Amino acid sequence: MSAADHRTVGELLADSDELARESLLDATPDHAPAMVRSWNQLVGSAAEVWAVWPSAPDDPSGLDPMERLRAVGEAIGRSVTAGHWPGQGATDERLTQIADNLSRARHLIGSHGRHSQQATPEMQRGIQDLHGEVMHTLYVAAHGTAVALGAHVTDLRHRLAAGERRRQRLAERPTALEITAAQDMIVRFDGFEQLAGAYLFGLPPTTANPDQVRGAVRATQLETALAAWDVQAHRTLASNPDPADLVRVARVQALITSTAGVLTEAAVRKGHIDKDIMQRFAPVLEANQVAWSRAAKRWGELTNPASRTNIALVGAAGEVRAAIAATATNPTGWATADQLASRVALPEMVKILHLSMVASIEIAYVVRDTAADHPGLTAPARIIGMRAQGEAEIAIEQGETRYEGVTWTTPRQIAANQLIPLPEPARRGRINFANDVIATTNHAVAAAAQLHPSDPKGSNRSGHEAHRGRSSEARQIARRHDPAPRGPRI
Amino acid sequence: MSQQRMDADTAETLAGVVRLLRRAAELVWEAVDAEDAGSARQLLGLGIDLAADEARNVLPDAMPIDGPAPVGDEPTSLLRSAEQLLRRVTIPGAGTGLYGLRAQVADLVWEANTDVGG
Repeated sequence: MSAADHRTVGELLADSDELARESLLDATPDHAPAMVRSWNQLVGSAAEVWAVWPSAPDDPSGLDPMERLRAVGEAIGRSVTAGHWPGQGATDERLTQIADNLSRARHLIGSHGRHSQQATPEMQRGIQDLHGEVMHTLYVAAHGTAVALGAHVTDLRHRLAAGERRRQRLAERPTALEITAAQDMIVRFDGFEQLAGAYLFGLPPTTANPDQVRGAVRATQLETALAAWDVQAHRTLASNPDPADLVRVARVQALITSTAGVLTEAAVRKGHIDKDIMQRFAPVLEANQVAWSRAAKRWGELTNPASRTNIALVGAAGEVRAAIAATATNPTGWATADQLASRVALPEMVKILHLSMVASIEIAYVVRDTAADHPGLTAPARIIGMRAQGEAEIAIEQGETRYEGVTWTTPRQIAANQLIPLPEPARRGRINFANDVIATTNHAVAAAAQLHPSDPKGSNRSGHEAHRGRSSEARQIARRHDPAPRGPRI
Repeated sequence: MSQQRMDADTAETLAGVVRLLRRAAELVWEAVDAEDAGSARQLLGLGIDLAADEARNVLPDAMPIDGPAPVGDEPTSLLRSAEQLLRRVTIPGAGTGLYGLRAQVADLVWEANTDVGG
């Protein structure tokens, strides 16, 4: 921030958007790691300037969409700080400049006092436009980062293949793990981009049809509960969670996936969605539900009688459960397609649940990071000794020599079923379960994208294959002054 | 809910409630696992889990939850027992928390009876 910076708030935001567009058009493989490192700072600055303006009073959900994005930005930041790819290093000049611009804008607004909560309709429209500009900047920057990451992965693959052909020393070649880590990061940025896009392009569309008011209220309750859950899950997972927290997270995610299946099936029966697409979608959704449920069971093995679940997480889970029960069940189980169609606008509800699944990709990554990095994970000796031995035997069969002849528990620990620190192979097992969740969630999200062919970005955007030819797509992204990016519609 | 005012009997009763709810949840999740993916019974399982969490959070850290394992393999009867125990609990200054938990468990008994998710 320069002392001689005389730009207005509007100019700072316009410059930020321009920088985001430049970073997209100039997204090269070399930029990708630095862009990932700068991401949390950028989202943090955007969230701060966003918070200076009050939310639109007519926003039916009362949600702050930036809160969800901030949680994702912080999760990516924690992952980098913990040493996961790309690790510490240089930051990106453009994204840092955008962050500085947004901080400067916040400072300028702050020095002129916050807007009154009783803003006039004209002021509210202005606030919506400003929110739209900030969100658009994040949307384009996320897209640019994903494009750069796609190019980076291609480059790594090329260098790996060339290194193998030329018999380069291993230390001079990229590793397969590095490629996988960069691919995972693409998925996370894709999720971020879709969440920002949902705000910009309005989800669900507003309706003036009074017959749908009741359905809209239910949709809003569920949407609010899901978004609040998403934010709370991130918060809880960010602060050394108890295994009981991880069980609840996985159980709620499994329930959300099941609900998405029920509502999508109803939408098919009512002719909103093509039957053939559902035939492809249903199995991947089921696989995702099973993966979350298995993860819940495995985390459950780490709990003990004294385990305590974060009370805020319990509250958020309760809201999701209540909203799903009110929307999608009857006294004997899931509601019928006719009942659901009479309660809610099925296409909009399906979109809300699929957006929640997009957000769940990031939760799955954070769960994996927790399995890998949480220093305080302990477990009862009997079950975890058995699990560690099982995982170790699998690893030994795959060539891992470090586990040979190692015992994971002492007879004394077994006799007392003491709580012991999680042995490395058992930790590895949790990471593998999280990887299953990540893979099945990606498949489900990719399949869900086919359900909404009219979406502005409704192609397969989460699978790794989606990043072929992103450069041409990059140039089609909406400009800041295009009609679509307007204020809050949720 | 005030934890300082909780006497030993009340704490032991609430620990019993936690054990009953956890066992009921365990049985429901076993049933969920035995059904097809996407069972609506997940709602009941999650509801019982959350009620157990609420009850656990009422108790101080120092209070051991360990105790005799609840007898029975019917979630509904375990939930009824938990509800009956909760009726006996009075904590001065407990406020709405305890009443909320009672209502929550009563709802779960109804849900288990009407087989939501069945």
